[in-house]
Amino acid sequence: MTEGYLYALLGLLSFSALGVFHKLADTLKCRPSPVNALMYGWSLMFVTIAITVQGGAWQTPPGVASLALPFGVSASIAILAFQAGIRHGDIATSWLAINLSAGLPTVASILIYHEPVGLKRAIALSLIPVSMALLWKDKHDAERRHE
Amino acid sequence: MLVSFVANGLGPFGLKVLTERGLAAYQQQYLFYWYLGGFIFALAALLLSRTGLLAREVALGAAMGGCSLAGQSFTALSLAKGVPGHIAFPLTTGGSLFLVAAAGILLFKERIGPFGFCGVVLGIASLVMLSVA
Repeated sequence: MTEGYLYALLGLLSFSALGVFHKLADTLKCRPSPVNALMYGWSLMFVTIAITVQGGAWQTPPGVASLALPFGVSASIAILAFQAGIRHGDIATSWLAINLSAGLPTVASILIYHEPVGLKRAIALSLIPVSMALLWKDKHDAERRHE
Repeated sequence: MLVSFVANGLGPFGLKVLTERGLAAYQQQYLFYWYLGGFIFALAALLLSRTGLLAREVALGAAMGGCSLAGQSFTALSLAKGVPGHIAFPLTTGGSLFLVAAAGILLFKERIGPFGFCGVVLGIASLVMLSVA
């Protein structure tokens, strides 16, 4: 179990470093298109190595590729838009805003697969637009201060 | 940011569809095609923008790609080693939001107003609740 918690901690540090690198890329005047392409290029290479080293099978049912490709495109659009948008905002609030989109698959699961909502989930989902509104208000106020 | 919000929200939903179709055993292969789809789009956008590559972009791209894959792999390993999802997900999601917000303020000298601070706290609370619900 201790080993499991160590992995969770490493996961936490990896995701945090990813957010910091997005901001660092903007600070170092890296352009969104190359950053996005290289990030996906390297990820693709790393996952290929991981599957090969672990001796994983490459043959999959046809549904896997046709499902994964459009969702991968969607995520790539998100990263490109995020890297371009970070120029106009703070990483502290932008990283939260993009992560709050986790609410969308939850809503889709409820609507499409009729998953039960539950009180905790309902409260969590209702907090997302409130949080987004507060972040928008903060950004709006900051822009007015700079005018 | 709105485009990013919607597109990023749709991205992980494929895993749910994969599970519902009884193909959960192919998660690693799914991840390969998922990154491939992302790379094809990113490459097309790069070619259309007609920009070259800078050394620092190559280095940061590698670091970000490594972090993206490492984050997902370590979280999966943590779950495989018996850490319950209601601990692993809030720790990785809520914790990373807190650390990135702290890095923004401490390393990049960003200033967050009272509304922004409340938004960050509520947002972290919401995502932590969502991952344990």
